[in-house]
Amino acid sequence: MSPPRLTGALRSFSNVSKKEDVTEQLYDLKTKRLKRQELFAREGLTWQKIVHFCTEHQGKAKHQAVSQELKSLLLAAKQIVGSEHGQEIIESAAVFLFETFHNKDHVGTEETRAIKQMFGPFPSSAAEASCACVARILAPLEDSRVEDFIQNQSSRHNPQRGSMFGRNIAFSYESYTIDPLEDLPWSGIQEGNTSLDF
Amino acid sequence: MACAQVPLDEQQVTERCSLGKERTLSALHPERKEERIFMPYKPPPEECTPAEVEEFLEHARFITDDLEWLLGLPHDKFWCQVVFDESLQRCLDSYLQHAPRGLDLTALPSSPAVADMQRSVHRLVFLAFLRMATHKESKENFITPAVFGEIIYNNFLFDIPKILDLCVLFGKGNSQLLHKMIALCKFCTNVLLENIFTQQPSYYNDLDETVPTVLQVFDTVLEKCGLRCEGATAMQPMKLNGHKQPTAMTMNQQDLVDIILYLCDSTTTIHAFLDIFPAACSSFHSHSFISRLTSFYETAVPDLELSVRKRNFDDKSLQEDLWQRLSHSCRKMVETVHLLLHHTCLQPILEGSENMQTFADELLQHFTYFLPEKRPASFSDETRTSYLLQGVESAWDSVGRRKPQSQLQPN
Repeated sequence: MSPPRLTGALRSFSNVSKKEDVTEQLYDLKTKRLKRQELFAREGLTWQKIVHFCTEHQGKAKHQAVSQELKSLLLAAKQIVGSEHGQEIIESAAVFLFETFHNKDHVGTEETRAIKQMFGPFPSSAAEASCACVARILAPLEDSRVEDFIQNQSSRHNPQRGSMFGRNIAFSYESYTIDPLEDLPWSGIQEGNTSLDF
Repeated sequence: MACAQVPLDEQQVTERCSLGKERTLSALHPERKEERIFMPYKPPPEECTPAEVEEFLEHARFITDDLEWLLGLPHDKFWCQVVFDESLQRCLDSYLQHAPRGLDLTALPSSPAVADMQRSVHRLVFLAFLRMATHKESKENFITPAVFGEIIYNNFLFDIPKILDLCVLFGKGNSQLLHKMIALCKFCTNVLLENIFTQQPSYYNDLDETVPTVLQVFDTVLEKCGLRCEGATAMQPMKLNGHKQPTAMTMNQQDLVDIILYLCDSTTTIHAFLDIFPAACSSFHSHSFISRLTSFYETAVPDLELSVRKRNFDDKSLQEDLWQRLSHSCRKMVETVHLLLHHTCLQPILEGSENMQTFADELLQHFTYFLPEKRPASFSDETRTSYLLQGVESAWDSVGRRKPQSQLQPN
C-alpha cells in the first residue's frame, strides 16, 4: 500500500481530477494475455504460410516427416495454451512458438519468459518439444532463407511503425531524497536540547 | 495516414473497415483506437521473494511493451489511443499514484532485475507524459494549440494532482539537467508544465481551487496532533467536556509515523512544484500561503520534534529516520517560503516593477509577521538575509531616486 501522500488527498478532496469509476472493469493478467494472443493472431505470419513454406522447400519424400513434425508442434502448442481452446488459437500459438524457436537450439531464459508472458504458466516439456520440432523442421533449410521468410512475414520482426518518441532524450533517473539539515546530527537528539531551529 | 501540414484536429483519414469498405473519419476518432488493454501499475514488492519478483516483472513487462508500442505509434494513432483508451489513462495515473518516491520508507528493490524494470517503466511513463504535453512534434505533426488545451483538460490527461506527482517523481534530475539544455531542447519538466499551463489557462483556476485543500492538509496534521488551527477554532467552538485529542506525544506510534511521512511528502511535493514552475507561486501567495505555513511551522514542529525525541522507540533506526524526515520537512517549508517570497515580492522589486513600493511593503510585512514567530524567524539564514536586504535596499534606492523626480513634475 502506498504511504499517505498529498496528491492522494487532492484526488480525494478536491474537484480538479477525474473521479474513479468503481464500476469500471479492472483487467487481470489472464485477460491481458488473451488480448495479447488475439493481437498476435492478427499479425502477418499465419500457420498456413508456415506449412506452405516448410513443405514447398523440401523434397516430396520428406513431406510426410515434415507434416508429422508440424503436427507435433501443434500438439505442443495445444499443451501450452490449454486444450479448451479452438484450432485458431492453437495454430496462432504454434506460429508464436515457430517464431520464438526458429533460430534457437534450446529453451533459454528469454524464450521461457516470452512464452510465459504470452500464455501464462506452461509445461516445460511442451516448450522443449516445440523447440526440438522447429529445429528438425528447419534443419534441411538454409538459415538465410528461413530468416528472410520470418522477416518478411512477421510484423513482430518488422514493425510498420515510426521510431519511438523520445529515444534520444537524455533522461535522468535522479529523484528527490531526504535532505535533512546538515548541522543536525542524529546523535544530537539524544541530548534533549537540540531543536530543528536554524 | 493523415495528411501533412494540417493540424491533426482538422485531418480526415480514409480507412478500410473490417468489412472491406472504405470510410472517411476524422483523424481523432474513437474507432481508430486499438484494443490493447494497458495494465495498471503495481509497485515493486517489499520482500522480493522469487515469486513476487517474477509477478512484478511479468506485470511490468506488459506495461513496458505497451508503452514502447504507444511511443512508437504515428502521431495521429498516438493521440487516438491517448484520448480514447481509458485503460491507458488508468495505467499512467496508477503509476503516478503508486510509483515509489525517493523519499519513501521502503528501500530500493533488492533485486537488480526489479530495479532495472522499475527504471524502464519510470522512463517510459515520463516519455508518454512528455509526448502528451507536446502539441507540436514536428512540422507535419501538430495540434492546434487551443484544441490541444481542450483535449488535455477535458480528458483529464493532466490535472493538478498528476502535475504535482510528475514534479516530485521526475522533476529533480530532469529539471536540473534540462534547465541547461533549455535553449537547445524543449524537453524538460518545466517546459512540459509551461506547455500545459500556457495552452490551457483553466489549470490556473484549478490550481486556485486546489490551494485551500493543500492548506487543509496542514490543518489536518495540526488536528491529528491535537493542536487547534486558527480556522478550526473560528468555525467550531471547543467542547468544555470534550474528549481529549491525542497529541503527537500520546498518539500511537504508527499514527506518528504516518503524520511525519505525510508531512514529508507534502512539503517536498509543494516545493518541487513551485521550484519547477514558479509561475504557480502567485496562486499560493493569493491564499496567504506564507503566513499559514509559518503559523503551521510554529505550532506543529515543536510538538512533533519533541515527540520524536522523547518517545520510546523500540526501533532506534526508525526514530532516526523520523527525525531526518522531520528535519527534511522543515527545510522544505523554509525553502518554500523562500521561493514564494522570491517570486512574489522580491523578484518584482529587483525587476523594477511599477508597484515596487507595494511589493517592498509586503515583503516588510512578511518579515514583521515572522518576528514574533520564534522558529520561522530563522526562515532567513545569513546568506538569504543579506540577499533579501540587498533587494530591499535596491528597492529603496530606486524609490529614493524617483521621489525627487516626481516632486519636480507637478500634476
